[in-house]
Amino acid sequence: MTAQQSLQLISESFNKSRKDILRGSAKYFMFWGALLTVTSLAIYLLWHFTGKPQWNFLWFTMPAVGYPLAALLRKNSAAVPQNEVSKMLGAVWTVFGAFAITLSAIAVFLVPMRVTLIITIIMGLAECMSGVLLKNWPIIIGGFLLGVGGAVFAMLVTSEAQLLIFTLGGILLLVTGSIMKLQYK
Amino acid sequence: MFPKLDPLLHSELRLAVMSILAGVDEADFTYLKKQTEATAGNLSVQIDKLTTAGYIMVEKGFKGKMPRTTCRITPAGQEAFSKYVEALKEYLSASK
Repeated sequence: MTAQQSLQLISESFNKSRKDILRGSAKYFMFWGALLTVTSLAIYLLWHFTGKPQWNFLWFTMPAVGYPLAALLRKNSAAVPQNEVSKMLGAVWTVFGAFAITLSAIAVFLVPMRVTLIITIIMGLAECMSGVLLKNWPIIIGGFLLGVGGAVFAMLVTSEAQLLIFTLGGILLLVTGSIMKLQYK
Repeated sequence: MFPKLDPLLHSELRLAVMSILAGVDEADFTYLKKQTEATAGNLSVQIDKLTTAGYIMVEKGFKGKMPRTTCRITPAGQEAFSKYVEALKEYLSASK
């Protein structure tokens, strides 16, 4: 091998595995995006047509269903390694999940608070950070708009319609996953 | 005077394995085989050579009920790989 060929081989192998890893992360964005879209729409419709806000308890089924399904998805996938970016993406969304579940539980059982407002902001932050890690401007801007726009919307709209912010958030995650799949094809 | 290229790394398959492992925490045998498009036998031989040199570490375990061989680059391997890349760059800049 010449020096040129060696460097080309290094660069190709490195890029190929990097693309593989980030394409592997894309399916989790799509999975959680689909689950969030379906859950938020279902709760919105149930609340809207019955007039009962108690349907919000269904939010707790999302992690109960989502985490085992995500584990199953990981188990059935071909073993794709982790790199620094995929690990950081996982960490950002794990922290978001921990905050979202804990704050929701506190709001329901201990101290009432404007959960939609808080979760929209931290979800926007997590999405923004994902965009920074992936060096992708559309994801950064999408996360920023979700966080800031969602916060304003949550303050202005107090009816069940504010749940539609999460539907938008779910769609944004689906779009993020699709962008990643295309970007790292 | 050009630096000497590490003969252990100056082989297509071993270099491909090291390039993959340099960018990830660890990778299993199946993944390396798929990425390098090598045969299982050839890949095993080259992995053994890299292990003997102390460039990579191999761990055998199970994923569920299936056996799983995991490889990861060692600090010595990381250093050798960096030196190799630096040497290549010197060769290229001299030839320009």
